[in-house]
Amino acid sequence: PLWRSVLRELWDINFAPLTVRQTSAAMTTLWLRVSLLYPDHIPTSPLQKALLAAGSAGMALYDPYRHDMVAVLGETTGFYTLKVLRDQMRRDPEGTQILQERPRISLATLDMDKLRSLPEGSFGREYLRFLDVNRVSPDTRVPTRFVDDEELAYVIQRYREVHDMLHTLLGMPTNILGEIVVKWFEAVQTGLPMCVLGALFGPVRLSARKLHVLVSELIPWAVHNGHRAPCVLNLYYERRWEQPLAALRKELGITAVPPCMQGLA
Amino acid sequence: MAAPRSYVLWSYCGRGWSRLVRTCGPRGLHSSLPAGSLGVRFLSQEKHATQTHFGFETVSEEEKGGKVYQVFESVAKKYDVMNDMMSLGIHRVWKDMLLWKMNPLPGTQLLDVAGGTGDIAFRFLNYIQAQHQRKQKRQLRAQQNLSWDEIAKKYQDEEDPLGGSHVMICDINREMLKVGQKKASDQGHKAGLTWVLGDAEELPFDDHKFDIYTIAFGIRNVIHIDQALQEAHRVLKPGGRFLCLEFSRVNNPLISRLYDLYSFQVIPVLGEVIAGDWKSYQYLVESIRKFPSQEEFKEMIEDAGFQKVTYESLTSGIVAIHSGFKL
Repeated sequence: PLWRSVLRELWDINFAPLTVRQTSAAMTTLWLRVSLLYPDHIPTSPLQKALLAAGSAGMALYDPYRHDMVAVLGETTGFYTLKVLRDQMRRDPEGTQILQERPRISLATLDMDKLRSLPEGSFGREYLRFLDVNRVSPDTRVPTRFVDDEELAYVIQRYREVHDMLHTLLGMPTNILGEIVVKWFEAVQTGLPMCVLGALFGPVRLSARKLHVLVSELIPWAVHNGHRAPCVLNLYYERRWEQPLAALRKELGITAVPPCMQGLA
Repeated sequence: MAAPRSYVLWSYCGRGWSRLVRTCGPRGLHSSLPAGSLGVRFLSQEKHATQTHFGFETVSEEEKGGKVYQVFESVAKKYDVMNDMMSLGIHRVWKDMLLWKMNPLPGTQLLDVAGGTGDIAFRFLNYIQAQHQRKQKRQLRAQQNLSWDEIAKKYQDEEDPLGGSHVMICDINREMLKVGQKKASDQGHKAGLTWVLGDAEELPFDDHKFDIYTIAFGIRNVIHIDQALQEAHRVLKPGGRFLCLEFSRVNNPLISRLYDLYSFQVIPVLGEVIAGDWKSYQYLVESIRKFPSQEEFKEMIEDAGFQKVTYESLTSGIVAIHSGFKL
């Protein structure tokens, strides 16, 4: 266990013939190891978080394929919003279950054969179709590193893993328009600064025609549904594979997909 | 001796610890404690015999080799970009100063160890070529001193622009060598280069082969620095020169604090944003702190058998060029 290895390290440091400088370096390493809140945690000072937020925002705009930069932006700017989200989850019975059991969505935890065998129109089958059609995999999410609280680190990890489910629920493909629509929905739902920034700055590189479609139809639809639906992080998706997608959409109050995006996801 | 050590431990336990942590952050503690080696090294270090440091972490020696390899494998493609970003381009000046200090003549056999991406090697080739061009210009201006042989040779273009100089680039990491080879073909360096995969502690060369041995920003990643120095002594010809460009101790306390702040706060962030790799750059700045000071390194070089060992600190000690001769 951790405490035993820590005690052993302290014992070694005390009796080893180290110089003062080496002792302090060894103690620093030990402190870092003890202070890691979860396996991938990298403790950062406020200055580092500010620099990371600015740098990742710039890099994400400069190179849209750097998804890890979007993730880092979310982690460094979302601390207080994550607390609000976590409290929302705690108030809901299904949400508390998720917080306790901490389910993860990855190729290792998903039973692909079982999902494939589900009837057409069920949530699980449609999710699998979405993954196949858009050629995405649930394993491409970077782990959380810069959040200084392990429960909040799980909350943001869950938010990232649920992103694909939202694509399925909203019927949006993974092209740039679809991603922006899902970002608007998430911005209204979660209020994460990264979602808000992504929603506002994402359309910057769009053509005028696409921008028109976005602003006239898609954004109002996304915002309207975002307000109507309860917190999407509260759904235990892993238990709802058999539920028909139409019924799930009705439960969340998601209206019909706008005609311009129908049949694409 | 026991007193300072237990004081250090005690300060970590009490309220002083949380105060230290809050003011300095997890990395700055070593600089706020009194420096200097107060401990006496006992002979019986069996338990720690094969332990070494990887940045501030303690690892076994076998582990360190593998970990260092992985670090450079992952940073290889963005190595040059990151160097420019981190040092704001000043690393180019440092490498130029190494070449000026070296002042190679045509016909020099250079061994550049840990020279993966080829910065020193390309500068060496450019230096020799520039020297050759200057010599040609001087000759052309004094046409009457040219012999018929030389004029005939000029028309036939037989003269080797490098004058017999050759550089052997040796690196332990395949990815770094690949990046270097691509750079060489992009910049048009074809002749006078050889790329060798090898370990600085066990060079794949015979004794007394090279005129100059350089190692730029590589020796702090070597597990046994003394072995690398002995290998350097072995492969140099008598009269050969050892040159090492490496990060060192800053002598000015104000600049030292700013440098620490920049190193630990900004550089890992740059690594994450530009290269997507925080941990490699954390290792980089920690390994710089673990490297011995200018005087200590000078003594290590003298222990390996080099004579007339000198050092020159650049940018108030952020880097230092150590030079020694095998006589």
